[in-house]
Amino acid sequence: MGGRPAGVAVRRILDTIYAAAMVGACLSMVGIAALVSVQVGGRILDQVLVLFDSAQLGIAVPSLSEIGGFLLVGAAFLALPETLRAAGHVRVIFLLNILGPGPGRLLTVLVLAVALGLAGWATWHAGAQAWDSWAFDSASFGVVKVPLWIPQSVMTLGLGLFALALADELVQSLFGEPAFRRVERGRAGGDY
Amino acid sequence: MDITLLSLLLVAGLFGLLLLGLWAGFALLAVGLLAMIFAASAPPGMVFATKIWGSLTSWDLTALPMFVWMGEILYRSKLSSNLFVGLAPLTRRLPGRLLHVNILGCALFAAVSGSSAATTATVGRMSLPELKARGYDLGMSIGTLAGAGTFGFLIPPSIILIVYGAATEQSIARLFLAGILPGLMLAVLFGGYVMLWSMLNRDRMPPPEPRVSLLEGLRALLLLLPTVLLIVVVIGSIYGGLASPTEAAVVGVVGALLISGLSGGLGWTSFVASLRGAAITSCMITFILMGASFLTVAMGYTGIPRTLAAWIGEQGYSHFALLTALLLFFIVLGMFLDGISMVVLTTSVIMPMVTVAGIDPIWFGVFLVLVVEMSQITPPVGFNLFVLQSITGRGIFEIARMALPFFLILLLATMLLSLFPEIALWLPNTVFTR
Repeated sequence: MGGRPAGVAVRRILDTIYAAAMVGACLSMVGIAALVSVQVGGRILDQVLVLFDSAQLGIAVPSLSEIGGFLLVGAAFLALPETLRAAGHVRVIFLLNILGPGPGRLLTVLVLAVALGLAGWATWHAGAQAWDSWAFDSASFGVVKVPLWIPQSVMTLGLGLFALALADELVQSLFGEPAFRRVERGRAGGDY
Repeated sequence: MDITLLSLLLVAGLFGLLLLGLWAGFALLAVGLLAMIFAASAPPGMVFATKIWGSLTSWDLTALPMFVWMGEILYRSKLSSNLFVGLAPLTRRLPGRLLHVNILGCALFAAVSGSSAATTATVGRMSLPELKARGYDLGMSIGTLAGAGTFGFLIPPSIILIVYGAATEQSIARLFLAGILPGLMLAVLFGGYVMLWSMLNRDRMPPPEPRVSLLEGLRALLLLLPTVLLIVVVIGSIYGGLASPTEAAVVGVVGALLISGLSGGLGWTSFVASLRGAAITSCMITFILMGASFLTVAMGYTGIPRTLAAWIGEQGYSHFALLTALLLFFIVLGMFLDGISMVVLTTSVIMPMVTVAGIDPIWFGVFLVLVVEMSQITPPVGFNLFVLQSITGRGIFEIARMALPFFLILLLATMLLSLFPEIALWLPNTVFTR
């Protein structure tokens, strides 16, 4: 179905969305590394200053443990769509390998449909939680009061994009081969 | 619904979904959802959102993507190509000679990567062609690699211990310390077996390698030095109480970037590739953790773990009988499941039972990791077997046969650990005396 211009445009838009989410995940990881580096660097600097009998600067990142947790959520959830398409998620393909191509394809469609249902359910309830946090002005407990709806919306967004990617793969599997199957088949061929 | 019937239904549901090829995280989520629909009055959706939010915004768990990233950076550096050259001169004189490179190389690489599949793949790609060219026995070359490749799980920083710690709310620093001595013990056992085998099978050993000049050996060893130093700093800072595991992991990332940047192995492309690779691996693990943490709450609602724990308590089994039963159960489970799914599944159902029996949760973590290591080399589903299959082109069952002695050594190690729990507990208890 890739021949039609409209199909190509949709493909490009979807791929851009997944890639953008991945960039968000990677930036979250860089964020964790940067903030923790500042914290550790500040502590080392203070210890050096003590050696020279000088006043400590006390450079520290406030609420680092909470903010680190939020960034972790960003990294984990925003990477969901690309991890699916890169066949990064673990599953047992024992049965699939035994079955022939026909039943195997049916199985892939079935598994994708179940996963899509579950991802939709998860998105809905993660969204409801973010909505509640917004409505009740919930914020984190630390020195820096981060409104909880912000990281919770990122979690919801990640799950929603995951559902989108699953729907995308489901459609692809009806017409041909979804992206993650291509990767899995490549691995079976010895290209680890 | 009757609790026995519900348990059977959930177990059948879980294995059915996994066998169909549903992703592990989704399978755990689905079974948790089923359990809540049948046995809980609380709204599943709200419980799900609250629980995964609570368990994933964890400071300790933040160490996970950082350690994975550190491994991804070093994996792309020149470390891997220096590994064989650097270690070969060290082992030339030992009985079994270069076969020990597999074990030492895996131990060293495991310390930087924390992943068993990456360890086996990296060391294997380098050492197997070299060993073959020098005429070493193929079965032993592949067997040592399959066995030692499982080190990644035990030698800190171990990804799977972080997962266990996050799922059971145990101190990750303590778990890391608990893993060190059992890891060394395994290395000694593996090395001992190689020596014994090579002395008994002199006719199957190739002629001795030509001498390497002292200078050449030193130069090769020097190449490995920065990485060894990095490992010492990262693990030492946790050991010395100077840094939390997350802080140590970030120090590891910065150090890995410096090492590979200075040695010229890291450009923008490989930096981005390392970041992307780390994001994918961390995402895979946290997704399974997400499913598992929901399943754990859901199981709490059903009362199954409590009933199971009470039942085990009433039977009055000895620790030894209980652990033997668990060991057999895990070995069978490990034939079909990957390590992380196994650990998180255990924590949602079996932990209450273990606690009731009075088994130390830190010790149990190490025990579990050893069992997970075995599962890596048991057919038909064993990740190290898959990796070795793709490197060597041999069949899964043939590789499993070559790895059998090392499977038995792992079994021996779990027995030693059960007889002498101090092997795991002495170090954390000594360091964290209150």
